[in-house]
Amino acid sequence: MFRHLGRRAASCTARKRTYSEFKHGNLPHSHSPITTDLEFFNSVRPDGQQIPTYRVLDSVGQPIDGSTVPEIDESFARKLYETMMLLPTLDTLLYSVQRQGKISFYHGEEATVVGSAAALSPTDEVLGQYREMGVLLWRGFDLDSIMSQCLGNKEDKATKGRQMPVHFGSPQHHFHTISSPLATQIPQAAGVGYALKRDPERRGKDCAVCYFGEGAASEGDFHAGMLLASTIPSPTLFIVRNNGFAISTPSSEQYYGDGIAARGPGYGIDTIRVDGNDILAVLGAVREARRRCVQQGRAVLVESMTYRVGHHSTSDDSFAYRARQEVEDRKKVDNPVSRLRLFLESRKWWSDDEETELKARLKSEILTAFKRAENLSRWELKELFSDVYGGDEPWNLREQREELGELLKKYGTVWEPWKKEREKFSGSGDEFLS
Amino acid sequence: MSTEAAIEPPPAGGHVPSIATSTLLRSTREAALKTPSIRWCDDPQVGSSSSVLVDSRETRKMNTYQAVRDAMSIALNKDETAVVFGEDVAFGGVFRCTMGLAEEFGRERVFNTPLTEQGIAGFGIGLAAMGQTAIAEIQFSDYIYPAFDQLVNEAAKLRYRSGGQYNVGGLTIRTPTMAVGHGGLYHSQSPEGFFLGAAGLKIVIPRSPIQAKGLLLASIRDPNPVIFMEPKILYRSAIEQVPLDDYELPLSQAEILTSGSDLTILTYGTPVYTCETAIHHLSQPPPSLDALIPQSVRSASVELIDLRTILPWDVDTVVKSVQKTGRLLIVHEAGRTGGVAGEIATEIQKRCFLRLEAPVHRVTGWDTPVALQYEKFYIPDAVRVLDGIIKALTY
Repeated sequence: MFRHLGRRAASCTARKRTYSEFKHGNLPHSHSPITTDLEFFNSVRPDGQQIPTYRVLDSVGQPIDGSTVPEIDESFARKLYETMMLLPTLDTLLYSVQRQGKISFYHGEEATVVGSAAALSPTDEVLGQYREMGVLLWRGFDLDSIMSQCLGNKEDKATKGRQMPVHFGSPQHHFHTISSPLATQIPQAAGVGYALKRDPERRGKDCAVCYFGEGAASEGDFHAGMLLASTIPSPTLFIVRNNGFAISTPSSEQYYGDGIAARGPGYGIDTIRVDGNDILAVLGAVREARRRCVQQGRAVLVESMTYRVGHHSTSDDSFAYRARQEVEDRKKVDNPVSRLRLFLESRKWWSDDEETELKARLKSEILTAFKRAENLSRWELKELFSDVYGGDEPWNLREQREELGELLKKYGTVWEPWKKEREKFSGSGDEFLS
Repeated sequence: MSTEAAIEPPPAGGHVPSIATSTLLRSTREAALKTPSIRWCDDPQVGSSSSVLVDSRETRKMNTYQAVRDAMSIALNKDETAVVFGEDVAFGGVFRCTMGLAEEFGRERVFNTPLTEQGIAGFGIGLAAMGQTAIAEIQFSDYIYPAFDQLVNEAAKLRYRSGGQYNVGGLTIRTPTMAVGHGGLYHSQSPEGFFLGAAGLKIVIPRSPIQAKGLLLASIRDPNPVIFMEPKILYRSAIEQVPLDDYELPLSQAEILTSGSDLTILTYGTPVYTCETAIHHLSQPPPSLDALIPQSVRSASVELIDLRTILPWDVDTVVKSVQKTGRLLIVHEAGRTGGVAGEIATEIQKRCFLRLEAPVHRVTGWDTPVALQYEKFYIPDAVRVLDGIIKALTY
């Protein structure tokens, strides 16, 4: 009887037909039909099952029965694979060579990030959480820029060395600068979507794309963002990476409902769940999600089911809260990279030799970029005080900058912690001494 | 300006009695057009106040909400990207500040949001990050705290953290503030002090219709996110002749309202008028207070300063004044501990140490919530300011 309740997207005629089952009419100012059944319902599926997961490839990279392989040609498919491969290679290398132990990317979500990036227009405005470097790589943000941000050197245009590693940003690549507070970008994305809708140059062409994890979806800003983008119709594409963990918290302790996707219909948002380790499923689903988003000027939600194979960050040992074997199993059984590789090989688009060559090339490129970045000095020390405000520098900042200058003149050559640190900056902080 | 003109004693029961009769309000066209540091934005000579251009300008009697509305109308007219949004703004707003704007500019530009302060702030940040002009309203400043994270962690830091690549200069958050006589805990607060540590934000509080329009237009166009707090009791009670043209008043610049040589009173918002009343009582005490005002202080010359911008505040004007007077009294409605006065007192103590003849005095709300039936004993009213003046002068 409540079949229609889970189907906001159903056509009007279908809805009318279903409504005719009710004999007592509707509530005034509402489509809600009157019923005499005292019946409760939960989640969005009338059959009690969870929202299904859209998939194209099986675990050995073959299209499953009835699936539609999204349109891709060989060079596009190879770019997908090479970009995916770049992520774990970067991770492994940086993890082992960097000294401060502060840099971390991720394993296991390559398909979600790269597959969705490939489905977007390069001018869609992306607001990420911090595991979406693959979007930047897909858009041509180069390895030198990646390294510069992670090491905070003078080529770090994204943050001028002010933010922690992996907090990228590039207006040129339409990628808004990442910040640590979780979910804050979600209502902001609704605003970005609305701005695009109001811009005559971009209306109907671009959308805002907002990435976040299933843990971030527990923040109040998730609720605010979904609500705003649906109520104030804005072309905003929400992509949630449900990787099963928020640091140590399993998703079973994050929510009791049917994941994040089940919440979409509650906000009146077209929603789909997709196999996040199947890059072709992600590509196909996000292409269609984006098409709806831009065409209708409305929000769309994609929940991508994946698994965080890596630790949360370098300051986290995930084996403290989950079995090592579980992770190893997931790497083998459901590996997003090998699934695409097997698909490519079945089309003769990839070979063992190419695999060997790619691995060597990526490793060498990354190492070269790392070594180069490592030897670059930081920005000038005075950048500590700039960009707090636009326009005139307020007196308090000017005075505090001068105060640090006086202290540096006095102690900068004798106080060891400063003496050593100064040398890392362009000009060694001498601009303060003049 | 001068306060020599007679000020009526407060009507029985009135706790901010001088607003209606304040000589600080500019009731003539001529006075309005001579507002200090006014900058006509349609003037080809930027900042010019040439008489030809001034003579042809018109003014209209407006209260504060009408002046706020007028500023937003100009902003919407001149900037296609500007939008106005918040809870209940489409029908005109609960304080009528957005009356008729939706009809005039369309629902795409003036619209209601769902009831979510963190969402409103975040949405505004998104718009502003795209270079557009977002004029958001938080219905009462008491309800700005759900947006604290978006304002302090995001809006304030966005330019800095992105190496200057992004900014949200186009964001202005308007919000009614301060006590209103019967607002209780959650319709009376003055939360400006909580934002003092949010480097990257500006906080502006006007005292009158002319000030509201000029400072709001300057805030909307400032290249930084601004929280614009409107003293809600002044929406209807403060009335001035307001220039109809597009003009701005400078941010981070205090205004000396009356010049004096014995004591500096620094305040902002509603208490500007309380201080005016207190200064009047000092020289001409009503019979009931006569015995309590020492003769020695009655002829004291008091300099009254409206701070106007709370962050970043105008240290130079205050220092110059205190160097002259040697005494400083700071008045605000917010509670004392962690309030704006503490910050200012510290800086002034540091800069004017050798000139100070008395400790910096603070007359503020108490360190309690704003209790409904106790409001007259909570707010820094005229007698409390007067007592502060006497203490500062007789130290």
